[in-house]
Amino acid sequence: MSSARNITAKTINLTIDGKACTGVFGQTILEIARENDIYIPTMCYLTKVLPIASCRMCVVDVEGVDGMILSCQEKATDGAVIHTQNAELYKERQNIMKLYNVNHPLECGVCDKSGECDLQNKTMEFGVSGQNFTTKEPSRPVQNWGHISYDPALCIMCEKCVRVSTEITGDEALKVKFGGYSSTILNVKQDQNLSSLGEAAAVCPVGALVSSDFKYSANAWELNQIPASCTHCSSACQLNYEVKGDKVYRVTNNAEHASLCGAGRFGFNFANENVIKNKEAFTSALKAFNDAGTINFSSNISNEEALILQKLKELKGYKLVSKEAKDYQSFLKAYSEVTGSTLYNGNLKALSQSRAVIVMGSRINDDNPMVKYHINMASKWHRARVAYMHSLEDSSMQNIVTQFIKYEAGSEEGVAALLADTLLKDIELPKGIQTALDNLDIGNLSAETNIGEEELEALAKSLLKKSGFSLVVGADVYAHPRAANIAKLLGLLEHFAGFNVVLVPPTTNALGVSLICELDDELEGSTIGYNVQGDFTLSAFGEGDLDMPAMNQQEGTLTSIDKRVVPTNVAISYGGYVLNDIANALGLNAEYTINYTEQLPLDKGFEATKFDALPNYFDAIGNENRGYLLRAQKASANRKIEEVEELSGLDGVVVYNCNHMDQFTPFTAQCETLKRDAYLLGSGQFATAAKVTDGDTVCYTIDGVKFERVFKIDTSLKGTIALNPTFDMGLSSALLSSYRFSQVDLERVGS
Amino acid sequence: MSLEQFKNRNVGTQNYKKLDLEHSPTCGWCQFKQVVSRTFKPELFVGLWVTLREMGNALFRGKMHTTQYPFEKLPISPRYRAIHDMLRLLESGHYRCIGCGLCEKICISNCISMDTRYDENQRKEVSEYTINFGRCIFCGYCAEVCPELAIVHGPRYETASEQRASFSLFEDMLTPIDKLNLQQEYDGFGAISSNADENIKKTPLAY
Repeated sequence: MSSARNITAKTINLTIDGKACTGVFGQTILEIARENDIYIPTMCYLTKVLPIASCRMCVVDVEGVDGMILSCQEKATDGAVIHTQNAELYKERQNIMKLYNVNHPLECGVCDKSGECDLQNKTMEFGVSGQNFTTKEPSRPVQNWGHISYDPALCIMCEKCVRVSTEITGDEALKVKFGGYSSTILNVKQDQNLSSLGEAAAVCPVGALVSSDFKYSANAWELNQIPASCTHCSSACQLNYEVKGDKVYRVTNNAEHASLCGAGRFGFNFANENVIKNKEAFTSALKAFNDAGTINFSSNISNEEALILQKLKELKGYKLVSKEAKDYQSFLKAYSEVTGSTLYNGNLKALSQSRAVIVMGSRINDDNPMVKYHINMASKWHRARVAYMHSLEDSSMQNIVTQFIKYEAGSEEGVAALLADTLLKDIELPKGIQTALDNLDIGNLSAETNIGEEELEALAKSLLKKSGFSLVVGADVYAHPRAANIAKLLGLLEHFAGFNVVLVPPTTNALGVSLICELDDELEGSTIGYNVQGDFTLSAFGEGDLDMPAMNQQEGTLTSIDKRVVPTNVAISYGGYVLNDIANALGLNAEYTINYTEQLPLDKGFEATKFDALPNYFDAIGNENRGYLLRAQKASANRKIEEVEELSGLDGVVVYNCNHMDQFTPFTAQCETLKRDAYLLGSGQFATAAKVTDGDTVCYTIDGVKFERVFKIDTSLKGTIALNPTFDMGLSSALLSSYRFSQVDLERVGS
Repeated sequence: MSLEQFKNRNVGTQNYKKLDLEHSPTCGWCQFKQVVSRTFKPELFVGLWVTLREMGNALFRGKMHTTQYPFEKLPISPRYRAIHDMLRLLESGHYRCIGCGLCEKICISNCISMDTRYDENQRKEVSEYTINFGRCIFCGYCAEVCPELAIVHGPRYETASEQRASFSLFEDMLTPIDKLNLQQEYDGFGAISSNADENIKKTPLAY
């Protein structure tokens, strides 16, 4: 990882291979060399994790120091004179390569990594033309771990995968089994088939860890890399769709600097394929648009499409309804009234560098794995205190959460008030706010929310003497009836306590849509549904009245959780009509959808940049050059906190709408490579309370959407709230957008 | 080299050596004599005898020199590059191709296309392999690059077909399993040299 986290930036000067270089105190020799385009070969070095120092390829010669220095972990000192290339170093590195090649199978022809293999490249580079050494080879069969498979015979024990699994994804599934030559990597969570291990396969320099589905299906050099952004959640991570013959074979990313969750890596087969231009459907679509009063859409669309919808609204007076984006928009608005800025101040990088993290209102590992990864980085690199506040405990967060604070479902406003009260204690506040906080009935709130005062004390105590706090706020609170006041209470933390606040957008482009569109609350007249069930339905799932392209069949931009406008490109061809065709027929005029990129509203922080001019790469030291960052605008601030309302708790059988970590939307539901079973999951306690048993088929209704699911007991869960997946509901899934906890009547089916 | 001698078109000044020819007959009688002496030489019968002898050899001793193309074909040099053959391993009969994709990569006319998959025995298996002979220029790179000598150029040089873009499938080119014993080792481009055994570098395998 970069050492930009060092606050005191003391410049140092040193000479590497005769070139005068400057760096910052605390940077390693390798980092400074890379910044200055000086090549030092490495095998085990991975920029995004702490130095592993297992390969010794990065040795350099420092004048005045005996012996060779490992440049990956040695901090540079002022005035050092360093040589990276000489005969002795070459010999040393060549010997290391000879040892890496001990018994390494010479079967590059049938190895998936061939053509992009570090071992192949470095063996060539150091002219190792034969295997000079050998040892007795133990029997080491290939192991299939589900999403990925492991071939110990190819493994060079660089430990990158283990470090990624610990420091980045935090699943802590991979361990090293030490034993000299027979050392191997162990998967201690093999039974869970974690898709996050795709990240470990991505950093493997050889063919030891490979994707099981991709294995042997194509060679690296046959695939066309399409630079894109992941469209499953609001993190919009950088990825490349690797395409051959109009089929996506796999997804790769710049694994040196960036990460990708399991759904992003393995969920790529969601295109709306074999669509042709259906003139009849198009004519009826135009008719429907001319008659319609409302466009109801899911915010899983690009910024450009959102702008088209907004322009159609201005032209034809439609109501634009997108429930989750509207909630988010209102939340941001209320939030900005306290902070005076249209956007939250946080981003993921700052989150990974914080010393204390509070998560509230989200089952974050399932809602947005990338946020969880960054919390994990903070925990691993800075031993950050992580307070996880939710109604449901999450066993997958156990290893990083230092304090779990459980609150009653529905009491989020009280929780926000308690947080504000606890964390703003020693900070001088404007009078109005101070009195509002003073007037809080802490005892009552504490009882209602079920958070003990000693828990809050422990939280306050653990944050003492620390700086660099982050607050992660999730989708639960946006749809809460008292969302506006929650926003204001949490806004206080950003404005007065200097928290790095990340308001996780509930869907992929909820942030973009909420900035671009003027959204309405109520449906009016007949509705056009875009990826939502409507009177006339435009759908990218292939089940509507007119087909639309899926996100990997379009070019456009997305607005990510980092407030970054990132471009994505076409991976799979699409033969049908797109939203722009409809817009053109209705009176707008743009040749391509991306003509709207430069028209995105400047007053909301967008830039007037053409789509083709947007960069999409990481530079040699890992700076993200993707699209551009939104500029936060000033907002009128009236810092008025309302009184906390009497809480109405949820009684009876409560379910929580939450998808498994591998699933987000009906798009991911189409991917065969992801885990797709949808059960109502509850603890044994829930089963007793709701009078259901494992394997029962139950029936219930949420927001008018009828569910029929098999109930399963999940032993990792606790408490009396069950998890209800929504990803498989197709066009109805976007209708489920009210508060995520709901009280339901379970009806047993067929018993 | 200068072009002087070519630019000199004055024939008269160059040194031509004339053949020592007889003088052409001038009178009618002389012409008659020349015709008779050239016609009735005994060499005529030598020639007739050769023809008669070879006819006898061909008809009665089975020494026919004519090839009855297209029913018969002459053997062709191993270096000739005709329609590809896919060879099998002699011991197991399994096809040699390991699906490494090098032929597809090196093909300069982009006519080879292949698909591979992971088979039940955890091996890389070729699931589809075609060569578009409408595009193939028979350069021989595929045979040269093949690490397994699996794709080679065979002797089938008739490439006329009803369609220009005629495809050939893997199975069409593969040695039929019942003709495995007739499979010829390839000697053309990319084949191992005759002294390959001497050049083998041994990898130390101590166990």
